[in-house]
Amino acid sequence: MNNKLSKAARQEENWGWLMVAPTIIGLLVLNLWPFVQTVYTSFCEHLGFGHYKFIGLDNFVRMFQNAEFWRATWNTILFCILTVPVGLFLSLLVAMLLNAKIKFKGGFRTIFFLPMVCAPAAVTMVWRWIFNTEYGILNQALGAKIGWVTDPKFVMISCAIVAIWSNIGYDAVLLLAGLQNIPKTLYEANSIDGAGKVKQFFTITLPMVSPTLFVVMIMRLMSAVKVYDLIYMMVEDTNPAVTSVQSLMYLFYRSSFVAGERGYGSAIVIWTVLLIGLVTVIQFYGQKKWVNYDV
Amino acid sequence: MKRISRVIAAALTLALLLALAGCGASDGKTHLTFQIWDVNQRDGMQAMCDAYTAQHPDVEIEVQVTSWSEYWTKLEAAGESNTMPDIFWMHTDQILYYADFGILADLTDLYDGVEPDYYTTHFSDVSIGNASGSDGRLYGVPKDKDNVVLVYNKEMFDAAKVPYPDESWTWDDLTAASQAIYNATGKYGYMAYSDEQLGYWNFVYQKGGYILDENNVYAGYTQPATMEAIRFYVDLQKNDWCPTQTYFAETSPGTAFFSEVGSMFFEGSWNLLSELQNYPDMVGKWDIAPLPACPDPVEGDGRATISNGLCYATAAAGKNLEVVKDVLRFFGSEEGQRIQGESGAAIPAYLGLEDSWTVSFKQFDYLIDVDVCYDQFETCVKYINNASRRKWKSTVADQMVKVYNGADLDESLAYMQQIADSYVTAE
Amino acid sequence: MKKTSLETARRRNTALTYFFLILGAVIMIFPFVWMILTSSKTVTESMAIPPTILPAQIMLDNFVDAVKSLPFAKLYINTGLMILFRVLCAVAFSSMAGYAFAKLNFRGKGLLFGIVLVQMSLPSQIFIIPQYQMVAKLGMANTIFALVFPGIVSAFGVFFLRQTYMGIPNEVGEAAYLDGCNQWQTFYKVMFPLTGTSVAALTIFTAVFAYSDLMWPLVVNSDLNMMTLSSGLATLRGQFSTNFPVLMAGSLLAMLPMVVLYLIFQRQFIEGIASTGGK
Repeated sequence: MNNKLSKAARQEENWGWLMVAPTIIGLLVLNLWPFVQTVYTSFCEHLGFGHYKFIGLDNFVRMFQNAEFWRATWNTILFCILTVPVGLFLSLLVAMLLNAKIKFKGGFRTIFFLPMVCAPAAVTMVWRWIFNTEYGILNQALGAKIGWVTDPKFVMISCAIVAIWSNIGYDAVLLLAGLQNIPKTLYEANSIDGAGKVKQFFTITLPMVSPTLFVVMIMRLMSAVKVYDLIYMMVEDTNPAVTSVQSLMYLFYRSSFVAGERGYGSAIVIWTVLLIGLVTVIQFYGQKKWVNYDV
Repeated sequence: MKRISRVIAAALTLALLLALAGCGASDGKTHLTFQIWDVNQRDGMQAMCDAYTAQHPDVEIEVQVTSWSEYWTKLEAAGESNTMPDIFWMHTDQILYYADFGILADLTDLYDGVEPDYYTTHFSDVSIGNASGSDGRLYGVPKDKDNVVLVYNKEMFDAAKVPYPDESWTWDDLTAASQAIYNATGKYGYMAYSDEQLGYWNFVYQKGGYILDENNVYAGYTQPATMEAIRFYVDLQKNDWCPTQTYFAETSPGTAFFSEVGSMFFEGSWNLLSELQNYPDMVGKWDIAPLPACPDPVEGDGRATISNGLCYATAAAGKNLEVVKDVLRFFGSEEGQRIQGESGAAIPAYLGLEDSWTVSFKQFDYLIDVDVCYDQFETCVKYINNASRRKWKSTVADQMVKVYNGADLDESLAYMQQIADSYVTAE
Repeated sequence: MKKTSLETARRRNTALTYFFLILGAVIMIFPFVWMILTSSKTVTESMAIPPTILPAQIMLDNFVDAVKSLPFAKLYINTGLMILFRVLCAVAFSSMAGYAFAKLNFRGKGLLFGIVLVQMSLPSQIFIIPQYQMVAKLGMANTIFALVFPGIVSAFGVFFLRQTYMGIPNEVGEAAYLDGCNQWQTFYKVMFPLTGTSVAALTIFTAVFAYSDLMWPLVVNSDLNMMTLSSGLATLRGQFSTNFPVLMAGSLLAMLPMVVLYLIFQRQFIEGIASTGGK
């Protein structure tokens, strides 16, 4: 009997390995090995065409002494600050509006979600055109001459607007699903108590939706730390405002791909991955404070 | 459920088949790939390949276009994994890096069996220089040559009653005409944007300064003539008639010109044909002129235009090297170069064939003055490059952006000088 | 008396809700409207001051220019095939791995799942050069296979489907096991059919992200006939620089198929995506 069980267990183990094999092999070859190489090259100087010379910590020393690098780190953090809280607030607002008893709910939902199915390459192009200082419709409507994507003071805000605009529908739909899971009876009981809407929001809605909010927040933060495509498509490197918006992964792209300094670029990646790790750790400790899992 | 898994199985099999299909057609022919970055020249390159394959039915050549920004990422990655395309374009910015690393095949002896001194007989020194490695050997077959011209809007000149630019023009005429057009029409004058080849390099050499000394070793950013010319160029944006650099970050001078908001800009000869094609409504409203000269050069006659040229190269470790060499020999021959010229792709590097390029301009109702491009070769300056420029190029470019943002020009030039020269002492 | 004041308060709330929703909807939809209007203008018209809101005439020239520069039919097919194969691979491999991670016991499970989690936190730009070299070594650049390549496995898919399988009670699998099914049969005859909603969600998620992917197709496939809609659009931008009317026309053509699909299947799209955020 014992023997048979262990045979079944062994069989289960073999099936387990077999079934994860394609994925694990794929991840090892496609992702993990390149990452290990990145770690190694961060300690090397790229001599050209894949030839490397080990130089120890020089890349990191140079990186930490470089003002451009710190600027990029700050830009990345700023991008997170601008897009995540504001984006989440607006998404939650939209979700709550959509959760109300209204007509054309489906129609509104469809419109808010639309940017999600549009290629970012196309979306950023039209935004650049709207933001154009001279001929853009935004400035013409405002009667102003604001350099939305060329003025160092505004360029980050403009990129954040596009990021929020692109993601708001997605986040709102996720949050809406969370809102719809809140039992109606909770509100009914509460309104008999005569609690105001605002109080209702803080005592019922927010705690009940906090797990979903948490998932969305992690997702947004992770992608905000890694942001590259959006900024790259909005701001070219001949733009005088580029240093005010250049994120860490943008700097990586310019160092590794354009200037050919792959060792230095790899060091930037290591730093970015550390930041992502830090964000994850802080969040998982922080969630205990405010996420309500007793749902 | 069964159905779904069967669909998946079928699809995966299909995927595998598709994958295998890519592995190589076995029709006995030699299949070559030919990589370029300019979509506008695709048809011209294809025509040239077709002419070769018509004579050599056992060879097939496929032209592929990768946009400029991905081209070099990809080519370098291919170089290190030994999977380069059979034939590819080489740019002066990059050739020394590739050639000095031993990636490119040495093509110095390509024509030994055909005609001794083939290169020196049929190509200019500038063309040969642009195709050479640091060791002076040829690592590419010269493809084309270009230079920079002044593009102007005739209607705006008429409206301001200013005569069209000609070879007598100096910088003073350029600024005076800009002011006059701005006053009369409210349109921008000469649009001086941050650029090397299409911008301040030309002014530096007109003034008699230099970016790299005659031995291509030390930089010349702090030479008085260089500094004066760059200051002149940067300061152009302080005039009302010239947009600022922030404007150009959003609207390229070409777009501004062809939407009739600006009257003049510097353009590379290689873009002229596609601009005629892309803006049919503008044909007849614009023309080209030689670059204005410096009125008070420190040295020389005040004339200069930067001239670059591409070349066709192949990998030293290529699998089909012998076949490829034969194709390259054809690309560099009179016939190959003529096809390239007549297709409008670019001005052939082959001496004496320059005006074959005019043919393709005759399709338009208005023939722009293409002879300007040919005549300007007499005053041309070879595109600036040395082996270490690759490393300091982007630092210098970033510093120029800062200058346009208000950084002190003298300090910036001193910094650029120091960065460029730091690689000399390092070597 | 009290009732009517409650009634007016409710009416006011509803009116405010509509106001904000309509305002939001206008902001969301405006860029698309502007895209359509710009695509029909001449470049001179688009740069006029004061601005022209409506084009002087409905003009298709910009679309003609875009179609002349890009083989759109091929781009649609390539993008479609890329999405199809990426979805099939993601669903097949992620289902297997998700099931194993959720329901089977095997040594090294924690470590192997750790690999999945690590991949999800790495920035994808660092894979481009190594993956390109792999594809080139296989002699597979400029093929549909090359487009699919980085999407063969999906760490997100594994993570997501593992959650789904964890939500299925163990008794379901045990019953099948007692009926004489082996692990594989339990998986694909009993468990896999129960995950339909999640598989649909993963399908949509994978499709949307494959469609948006820009850098990879741009690097790996340089033959114009093997590009995707996104990379084709980037090429168009290289050619027309800041000529926005043509770029807008190209963008519209590139967005069209996905938007039409979305409008037809919008319920599935939205609900599918909504489930990817589940706990």
